[in-house]
Amino acid sequence: MTQAVLSPGMAALALFGSFFILLVVRVPVAFALGLACLPVLLFEPRLSPMVLFNETFKSYNSFILLAVPFFLLTANLMNIGGITNRLVQLSRTMVGSWPGSLAQINVLLSVFFAGISGSSTADAASQSKIFIEAQTREGYDLSFSIAITAVSAVLAVIIPPSILMIVWGGVLSVSIGALYLAGILPGLLIAGAQMATVHVYAKLYNYPVYPRASFRDFLCSVAQSVPALLTPFIIVGGILLGWFTATESACVAVLYAAALSIFVYREMDLKELHDALLETGKLSAVALFCIGTASAFGWLLAYYQIPRALLANVTAWGMDITGVGFFIAFIFLVVGCFLDAIPAIIIVGTTLEPLARSVDMHPVQFAIIGIVSLAFGLVTPPYGLCLMISCAVAKVRLRYALKDTMIMLVPMLLVLAAIIVWPQIPLILPRLISPEFLR
Amino acid sequence: MKTLIDAYYHLLNRLLVATVAILVIPVSLQIVSRYSGLIPSYIWTEEMSRFLFIWMVMLGAMIAIREATHFEVDVWPELGAKANAALRIVSHIFVLIFALVFLYWGIKFVQFGWYQESELAELPMPFIFIAWPLAGATWLVFLAEHLVANVRILAAKDAS
Repeated sequence: MTQAVLSPGMAALALFGSFFILLVVRVPVAFALGLACLPVLLFEPRLSPMVLFNETFKSYNSFILLAVPFFLLTANLMNIGGITNRLVQLSRTMVGSWPGSLAQINVLLSVFFAGISGSSTADAASQSKIFIEAQTREGYDLSFSIAITAVSAVLAVIIPPSILMIVWGGVLSVSIGALYLAGILPGLLIAGAQMATVHVYAKLYNYPVYPRASFRDFLCSVAQSVPALLTPFIIVGGILLGWFTATESACVAVLYAAALSIFVYREMDLKELHDALLETGKLSAVALFCIGTASAFGWLLAYYQIPRALLANVTAWGMDITGVGFFIAFIFLVVGCFLDAIPAIIIVGTTLEPLARSVDMHPVQFAIIGIVSLAFGLVTPPYGLCLMISCAVAKVRLRYALKDTMIMLVPMLLVLAAIIVWPQIPLILPRLISPEFLR
Repeated sequence: MKTLIDAYYHLLNRLLVATVAILVIPVSLQIVSRYSGLIPSYIWTEEMSRFLFIWMVMLGAMIAIREATHFEVDVWPELGAKANAALRIVSHIFVLIFALVFLYWGIKFVQFGWYQESELAELPMPFIFIAWPLAGATWLVFLAEHLVANVRILAAKDAS
């Protein structure tokens, strides 16, 4: 490995330089990553473009990533099968009487949604259609409506189940069951921070309030949503009890959502099913194709030992565990602005892992810091998928909702800081429920 | 020509729907077979689902070029129609290069794996590898369509 012609610095310059230039001329990210590999692959005598094929093949030929289409399909089935409607109703009876009712419902629905589906993009896509128009009709500002829909969608990858946790667990060999449990508390804290933000906004701008729902209404909607609300317990419980693997759990979620739609709520027709399957295939393929070329890119970084060269300086700073935590969060937040979360885990997660280990940070805490930071990347420009989706649904450009999104991120960042300073926040639930997974 | 491309595009869409729908079956079987003696434990469910998955990704990646839904980063201010078309042409030329790479080395990739068989079900691997050069060829077709459209915008008189 040591006989590479290019030095790590040269290779890094060639790889990152061409990647950024290609991004600027609006080459899609997946293709920019692949094309950036080409000059190096052609120049280095020991390598050939075959690397591109081997690496893409290897990354798609993986059972773990199957969870991506399954979670998207679950979300799509929820929407067409009437599950989402039941959950909206339930959220309404719970928080409808708080200031900024509809926006509070928006956040709470994301929490429920996050417990069933593990995909933030699916959450953003479906809730944008439900809420943005409804909120503006009730007098909420459009930019606020877009922003709250997008930022609440990031909960889907923090609250279990989660695509990112499955990928993280697979790539860095951490127990996915432990990650699921560890994500619950941070996820709820972030949801709380968002609800507080909505409260402040609602008071400032006098957003409308619904009349309080009667306790009887509440019980009715709970009864109606119980089958749907059982999903997270089935998924997380099934994994903890060893009934099925993480990827299989995503398939179980699909089957359960399908069964509810067909036998319990009975609102699905064939045309909608076809569309749900097509949407799932398209969106997951676009996200996954990018992972293939990102793996090739990451493979080249490793070949030239670029991560080690970059980290050599950082370890010399002699940071303590909290400092390293903030450093890791910062890197993931910056990378999350430019890259999709899954390629970021593959490239950056593996790079930072030795650093986290060097200060004895618990692998689960490291994972949660990384995943939460990357989740925030879903709403940060220039490449914030959830925000892009919400803006696309509202038919405005991304920068239109930027200011409100950044304001909402501030309380969420405080939660991230709390996770870094107090490792107990992510670790307490796995310690209580399944300490054997933490070893 | 356009109807031909349309027909091909619809075929790809059908195949994509089929792969997603079928994908659920082997994984479900895998769970069920573990807990019941009724179904023999099909060891190749895992392999079959992976191969369907590869085809799903590649089919979706092909379709996304025509629909222009591959994720991209937008750092430009609002551009006029012509400037936009010019930028599109530049980016499409780069994607075109990538498509040629997939086609040229993809064929070698298939030849290289010509006699390989999969580990469990002993399927011939070229069935899988062929997805790469096919993706390259498909992208070329769809990109040509986009390029023609954008060149037309550039060439049009400033009527708008």
